[in-house]
Amino acid sequence: MRTKVTAYQDRTLIPSCQAACPLHMRIREYVDLIAQGRIMEALKVIREDNPFPSICAHVCTHPCEEACRRGNVDKPVAIRALKRFAVEFGGDRMVEIEAETRRKEKVAVVGSGPAGMACAYYLRRLGYPVTIFEAHSEPGGMLRVGIPRYRLPREIVQREFDRLIRMGVELRLSTRVVSLDLLFQMGYKAIFVTIGAHQGLRLGIEGEEGPGVVDGATFLREVNLGFRPSLGEKVGVVGGGNVAIDAARTALRLGAKEVRVLYRRGPEEMPASEAEVHQAKEEGVQFDYLVAPLRIERERNKLKVICIRMKLGEPDSSGRRRPVPIEGSEFPLMLDTLIVAIGQAPQLPEDFRLRIGKGATIHVDPVSLATNRPGVFAGGDAVTGPATVVEALAVGKRAAFRIDDYLNHRYPVPEKEVRQVVGDLLPETIAMIRKISRVDPPYLPPEVRVKEFIPVEMVYSWDEAIKEARRCLKCGAGAEIFSRDRCASCLTCLRVCPYHVPRLNGTGEVEIPADQCQACGICVAQCPAKVIILRKPQDRRQIEEELNHLARYGPSKPMIVGFCCQYGLYGTGVLSGLYREKKAGVYIIPVACVGKVEAEHLLEAFSLGAEGVFVAGCGDQCSREDTALWLGRRIEKVRESLGEMGLEPERIKLFMPGEGRDLLVDLRDFSQKVAGLYLASLVRQEVKHDSCPTEAFGRDPTHDRPL
Amino acid sequence: MIVAQQKPLEEILRMIDPYERVMILGCGTCMTVCGAGGEREVAFLQKALEIAGRRQEEKHTFIPYTLKRQCDPEFLDLLTDRIEDVDAILTLGCGIGVQALAERFPDLPILPGVDTSFLGMAREWGVWDERCAACGHCLLGETAGICPITRCAKGILNGPCAGPKGGKCEVDGERDCAWVLIYRRLERLGQLDKMRRFYPPRNFERPKRILRRT
Amino acid sequence: MALSLLEEKLEAGEFVVTAEVGPPKGTDLTEMIHNIDLLKDWVDAINVTDHQSSVMRFPSLGGCLLVKERGGEPILQVTCRDRNRLALQADLLFAYTRGIRNVLCLTGDSVEVGDHRGAKPVFDLDSVQLLRGIKEMEEGHDMGGNPLKGAPQFYLGASVHVEADEMEPQLMKFEKKVMAGARFFQTQGIFRVESLRRFMPYASQFGVKVLAGIIVISSARMARYMNEKVPGITVPNEIIEELSGTEKGKALQKGIEIAARTIRTIKEEGLCSGVHIMAIGNEKVVPELIEAAGLNGRAR
Repeated sequence: MRTKVTAYQDRTLIPSCQAACPLHMRIREYVDLIAQGRIMEALKVIREDNPFPSICAHVCTHPCEEACRRGNVDKPVAIRALKRFAVEFGGDRMVEIEAETRRKEKVAVVGSGPAGMACAYYLRRLGYPVTIFEAHSEPGGMLRVGIPRYRLPREIVQREFDRLIRMGVELRLSTRVVSLDLLFQMGYKAIFVTIGAHQGLRLGIEGEEGPGVVDGATFLREVNLGFRPSLGEKVGVVGGGNVAIDAARTALRLGAKEVRVLYRRGPEEMPASEAEVHQAKEEGVQFDYLVAPLRIERERNKLKVICIRMKLGEPDSSGRRRPVPIEGSEFPLMLDTLIVAIGQAPQLPEDFRLRIGKGATIHVDPVSLATNRPGVFAGGDAVTGPATVVEALAVGKRAAFRIDDYLNHRYPVPEKEVRQVVGDLLPETIAMIRKISRVDPPYLPPEVRVKEFIPVEMVYSWDEAIKEARRCLKCGAGAEIFSRDRCASCLTCLRVCPYHVPRLNGTGEVEIPADQCQACGICVAQCPAKVIILRKPQDRRQIEEELNHLARYGPSKPMIVGFCCQYGLYGTGVLSGLYREKKAGVYIIPVACVGKVEAEHLLEAFSLGAEGVFVAGCGDQCSREDTALWLGRRIEKVRESLGEMGLEPERIKLFMPGEGRDLLVDLRDFSQKVAGLYLASLVRQEVKHDSCPTEAFGRDPTHDRPL
Repeated sequence: MIVAQQKPLEEILRMIDPYERVMILGCGTCMTVCGAGGEREVAFLQKALEIAGRRQEEKHTFIPYTLKRQCDPEFLDLLTDRIEDVDAILTLGCGIGVQALAERFPDLPILPGVDTSFLGMAREWGVWDERCAACGHCLLGETAGICPITRCAKGILNGPCAGPKGGKCEVDGERDCAWVLIYRRLERLGQLDKMRRFYPPRNFERPKRILRRT
Repeated sequence: MALSLLEEKLEAGEFVVTAEVGPPKGTDLTEMIHNIDLLKDWVDAINVTDHQSSVMRFPSLGGCLLVKERGGEPILQVTCRDRNRLALQADLLFAYTRGIRNVLCLTGDSVEVGDHRGAKPVFDLDSVQLLRGIKEMEEGHDMGGNPLKGAPQFYLGASVHVEADEMEPQLMKFEKKVMAGARFFQTQGIFRVESLRRFMPYASQFGVKVLAGIIVISSARMARYMNEKVPGITVPNEIIEELSGTEKGKALQKGIEIAARTIRTIKEEGLCSGVHIMAIGNEKVVPELIEAAGLNGRAR
């Protein structure tokens, strides 16, 4: 007896990926949908949580992947690449452009970077008239002028702005805002300042002024805006962040023969993403660690950069070990161009009269995002210093709601999350999880890439995407004992779990630690008291709903009912040739892992009039052997029961494809067999009863509906 | 744990044949633990009986319900509202439950759905073995905690007989000879002299009612 | 004074030979009488089995009366499987009044190995408790402690297994039987004389008489069957091989040869007080075996 609360209540824990994502995207949900081949539904979930997933799909630094618990088992799930797969698969579908103006108050967004884009999007959805002011001739902020085209194609950014415009956002390009007062005078009731951090930091060494030395962000901006600065043959890049790597790889593409990155710390301390560094190395960029330039001399149109070697000393305030120069280790480096990419700061017009914090950034209240001036909010790199795209999107979203609060004279209340975040996997659990190698998306080979600015990373194929998505452990969406009172402590769950997760706690009660449960569903189906449920409501309801659907709207005589694994078969298309309605009399019930199919469900299928029932698992792709084992036992039990009623054992079968078996062939044989048995029984019944076959086979004729 | 096995479907069908509205009553304690009559078994049996019933053109309506226990009158009180239109109760409780129901509802036929088999324990999932004969004169202290009554096929107290081969009982090659087990464990405990003692014939008298004072 | 001829001969130190007859399943006693007549001149005493292997048969008690009628010396086998303590005591009172003195106390094979598998196994007593119980009857009271009007006296025996896989527990049981009153023992079938050589020094401490059990195996198939299905008997592989190596039709002869060999060795080494021959259905070969073993027949 399940109460309504538990039938629909989301009792999952927040997975670590979602917790780490600044946008708190429902990663577990969309990855699972991809794994089932339900890409459009996955895309819907993605777009509900992220207004510009196409951008993140290319350049997100994926804190979700760093937090992904699969990484404790083998490698993290390639979430970003999967998101890209879904976004590219869906194209323009699932894109929301509905927005109507319901409010009078105009809001100005200063800066068209990701924070500004997100803020404009959500403000527009809330019904506000929004204007984005962008100083450059092209919108997008760092997306447009910072990130190179081979990482984020221009069209993608442009498409998003087209959409914002279609939504009714006003975009004023080549319009530099120099005074916030002016904006207020123009009638804007609130302003979101998100001008980014584009001012390159200086090394502060002798010789830095002058030809041949260029600021990294400026360099990238020029290239992105279409210029091709000549760099000469030997280029050096000072810095260790993504800007430095972007600059180095861009230099290669502009024809530099030798590019070296000079970083004052070691490879472990480098903040740039590993994937970027790896690709840069593949393309031929050299990395000089523990090196810093001391001064720059010029000799015959070339730069003579005197560098000094460093060693790592005590940690500084950022927690990283401070580099300390090694006495007497100076050496010269002959370069044509030196790109300085050691960080950026915002260029804040004085007239804004905003309070400044550390690193020339704007100071804001962390909850309301308000600055010292009423009605003026700020976010993005301008507040945090150079950060990531997804953080900017997240703050832009928050800012929209904070502005909404402000304009409604509401006190901003920080959102409280009631659900817990999932904890760590224990080594014992990790040891039991089958290792599956990560499928990385394909990349262009380095020789091809460096010739031009074409996108480096390609998108997954269907099979690759599904295979990778299946590695997700579904953290926090496992099983729980929901009725302590009806649990008889029979220890069945403890004994049948392939991962040895359920255990007796200190007071002798059985509990299923949510952090360790792998959501296989075996204990749920085996619990003799039926007190274990899956935390995710869709998982709980799936089979019952499908059977109800079959009962009400299905054919009056579904000859064969098949419970098919959504992951391996239905999703990847082997069985998708068999449709939902009767195609050759086979009615498919898709299940997200057939391990959840209980013996009673199988009986129910017969009860609904099926002459034959099969279960098709995903076979050798299943991440555990026990699923097939338990299904086999349940099927045996049903077979025995049927036998006692005089129904032949061949009427129920388990298919676990693999070992070169062709499932469709097997199914055809099974169908024929069942049809034969049905006819034979008809003959017997006719001789015995002389009655309508439908009645004789357990379908009350009043249930039949016209198809 | 009381351990039982569900009766064959055929037998159950015959038992319920004369009745139209049948309550299938599960038990949430022993029968859940041994997998013979908990809530899941009630659901499964209901479906199976429905299918079987229709095939034989029988009209039954089944009312499934599970009580935490059937062997206490207070639990049975919970049924009074639910049995108004019920013609018979097919209970998946042990023999105790069947009798408790029959006593409490003397006008209702109570049908046993399981065969109560023994007092035993699970060795691993799905394997239950008899352990206790409820003989009323526990002498497990003398036999190193191994019961010669349940585990020796002949139930003798001065064992072994000449039957064991390879430490296995003459009756069932899979079954250990209890007395060989007792010997080994007494040896391990350094108490072999217990086995050298003469054990007089069993006293088969035991109480049929037990009273508690506090 | 000896209670029976058997006791007399054993106490006198003779090499005693006993054999067993199995009663029929039915009322036709012809074959049994024939066997009794055959054996009584060749052996010193005849056991009548009691539902051997839990197969329902004409009772041992009836068979012993027949042996007495035909002039032989009977040994009554009493198993605890089928009767509770009341019935057992009653049967023994009756047996005593009819002149039966030799009683072999056995626990009995389990019901499951026989032909009435669903029968209720009684085992109210085991062999040790039965021996003790009879001792109490000899002292003039029954097992409930009540005085008897006329007490029986018996020459009590029991069985012992000297070729068991686990010997220690069997020896403990043996000792208990001796303490409970057993004076003579018939062992389970012996196939390796070595086991007897190891057992006898231990057994002779107790001053009891031991008759080595000798089984005549008629074929390799029979040997395997006994290994699998019959409790208390394990035919070693070398014997099975010896049997299967013989020509067709000569296996029984081989069986007799093997048995005779064993008896001869036992007698020559003076290992124990005699032998108990179990021909199991082949009672007719007993005379031949006795001759082959070099024990001249005892014409009475």
